[in-house]
Amino acid sequence: MSRKIIALLLAVFMCLGVFAGCNNQTNQNSDKTNDGAQNTDSSFKVGAIYITSQNDTAGYTFAHHYGITTAMKNIGLSEDNLFIVDNIPEDKTQVSNAIDTLAGKGCNIIFGISFGYIDAFAEAAEKEEYKDIIFSHATGYKSNETNFNNYFGRIYQARYLTGIAAGLKALELQNPSIGYVAAYGTEYAETCSGINAFALGVQAVYPEAVVHVNKISTWGDETKERQAAEALIDTYNCCVIAQHCDSAQPQKVAEERKIFSCGYNSDMTKESPNAQLTSAIWNWPVYYQTAIEAAMNDPENFMENVGIYYGGLKENFVGISPVTDNCAEGTKEIIEKVSDMIISGEWDVFTGTKLSISETGEITKVTAATLDNTDSTVIAEDGTMYCYVGEDEDRALSASDASGIAFEHDAVIKGSMNYYVKGVVEG
Amino acid sequence: MKTKQPFVRIVRRTDFPLWAMIIINIAAVLVAVGIGAILLAAIKVDPFVYYKDMFTIGTIDNRFAYKNFEGLIEFFVPLLITSLALALTFKMKFWNIGGEGQFIMGAISSATVALLLGNSLPSWLTLIMMAVCGAVSAGIYGLVVAFFKVKWGTNETLMTLMLNYIALYALKYFGETQAGWNFFLSGESVRPVFATFPESAWMYTIKIGKFSLNITLVIAILLCALIYIYMKKTKHGYEISVVGDSQSTAKYAGMKVGRIVMRTMFLSAALIGLAGTFYVSTAHSLSTSVTNNVGWTGIIVAWLSRLNPVMILVTSLLISVLRVGCQTAATNFPVIDSNFADLLQGIILFTVLMADFLTRFKIVFRKNTEKEVEDK
Repeated sequence: MSRKIIALLLAVFMCLGVFAGCNNQTNQNSDKTNDGAQNTDSSFKVGAIYITSQNDTAGYTFAHHYGITTAMKNIGLSEDNLFIVDNIPEDKTQVSNAIDTLAGKGCNIIFGISFGYIDAFAEAAEKEEYKDIIFSHATGYKSNETNFNNYFGRIYQARYLTGIAAGLKALELQNPSIGYVAAYGTEYAETCSGINAFALGVQAVYPEAVVHVNKISTWGDETKERQAAEALIDTYNCCVIAQHCDSAQPQKVAEERKIFSCGYNSDMTKESPNAQLTSAIWNWPVYYQTAIEAAMNDPENFMENVGIYYGGLKENFVGISPVTDNCAEGTKEIIEKVSDMIISGEWDVFTGTKLSISETGEITKVTAATLDNTDSTVIAEDGTMYCYVGEDEDRALSASDASGIAFEHDAVIKGSMNYYVKGVVEG
Repeated sequence: MKTKQPFVRIVRRTDFPLWAMIIINIAAVLVAVGIGAILLAAIKVDPFVYYKDMFTIGTIDNRFAYKNFEGLIEFFVPLLITSLALALTFKMKFWNIGGEGQFIMGAISSATVALLLGNSLPSWLTLIMMAVCGAVSAGIYGLVVAFFKVKWGTNETLMTLMLNYIALYALKYFGETQAGWNFFLSGESVRPVFATFPESAWMYTIKIGKFSLNITLVIAILLCALIYIYMKKTKHGYEISVVGDSQSTAKYAGMKVGRIVMRTMFLSAALIGLAGTFYVSTAHSLSTSVTNNVGWTGIIVAWLSRLNPVMILVTSLLISVLRVGCQTAATNFPVIDSNFADLLQGIILFTVLMADFLTRFKIVFRKNTEKEVEDK
């Protein structure tokens, strides 16, 4: 009995294998005919791998899904040309299999939105079969010269602007205590550069203010986010709550406690209409449109035309939601001025120069080293960036890594910033 | 006077032929697929397009079809081994629901071997060492529970369940903590990310044209045959089923129940650990979602197959096709995400358990004649 079943199974397997072989050949032929028509809209296929469900209505995956679908609509690509594998955890086998699925569907460009997809993407891009597919990986740091890039944004620029709004509000209330619910702290450059930029924005208008960080050690957990915000308010009597986590719970807590808040990811005014000052937001369609158009029109030179992409305020890749009436008077004008300075390239957040903004809205540039809580220099007056290197006992600030490569400005995104600036307190 | 019979009674039946059992189970799966089709149609997805893609795991019109088969095998092998291992303890009515934890222990230990010794040992020795360490460490992780059960009568369900989370959080700790001692993480990344194994720790594959056959598939099918023999033809297997039927009978027959429980649990957990080893040596790295839920899915597979190793082979293949197939089929339809696989799996489980019930019991209604007799 069982022997028969095994024999049957083997037979089925073999048949499938033969079929697969046949499909291979016929499809390679049809593929060649497709190549000629690659520039027409109808044949260009976009693939995407998501960390959570494509049907999410808020949060990280939602932001990317919105970005990709909006970009495709703008370009004139039909929804049928989008192929999605969702709920893929950061596991190499599962990500590789998802890539295989999308490649099998004939996708011309494949986006991966989560950091942990990095090695699976790097390996896939090197495979001979996938040479004509473009791989684009969010938040990573790996790339190659032909078909694999990474992308992220200078969200810290937007954070600085929200920091100004928070600082002005705190100044108006004469309460120097500001709360920040963070997914992680100094473990990730992404989170700590956001916290630092926010704090520098606060200090530009209210130098005595302190940013209290409460980290929840996960990117999203509604209960923990809520508890963290409540703890900040109860412990430090914070008057403004900012956040770097997925849901809008901290905003809702601020609304309930009748204090003020700065959102993240998308405009969170609807979650906290009476508390919201302004949110730091991502405009993902900006990148996705750039990338898809480049891959459609000139896939051979994708890396020359798009390459490693870190857009900021200038590209409108990041921004802030409209400044609400909850803000202190004059907030909008000050933010606009600073925003113009960043867009024009006149000034940026992590340089040796800081801004000092008076109550009347006058902006003065101050050249001074940025210090951390131990008064060590983390960004020198000339803009040299430092970073902690070494293990726990002999951790020391250094301007370069072990192999002597200097930390450049993009390190803020790529991941070497691992300290808080003065005035940021964790716990 | 005799007590009145209830209106409906459930009566055990013993006369159900095998062929009818097979047919009713196939019918149950078809009913589930039918319900799925109605659900799909309700959300305006063509069920035929969806199921075509699902049952062929997306290999039609696919120039990389061989990759889909490789993906299927990577999912199938750990599930098959885990389900077989769980069936061993379930047969004994020992509820090992710690498959997740034992899988993770196996994965962590074999990753330790791969990362620390992989560079200095030849490939065959590394792989054997990984398999041995993975199996033994997971075996001990399971043995502890059996020991407590035998010695102090603790509840194995709760203990294995809790040990799952201990293993999972240990793995997460390794995955997130950057420190000098933490060899699990890649040295080159600033953000914590698991290191890739040295090449000597990569599982062998046999190239057949473009398709590369992972040899763990061969080993898993061999294991299936061995466990069939072990359960049906050996003294150990007999002891397991006697202990499962009645511990008192086993004791009366002079069996050392404690020893049998500990031995079987060790074997079960060790096999699951081996599955963990196979998975990481195929993936070439650890991850915090390394189990792919096989510890849970394996329980379903074992039950659907009524703890029969041959049925487990069929069921785990079906569940794997369902999983992998749903993923590829769902890519085309924005309204469906991968959760549909869970839904369909749930419906199949429900209908098959229903069929199982019907094959084992029959529902008897009170007969009028009987009533009349009683009244007199």
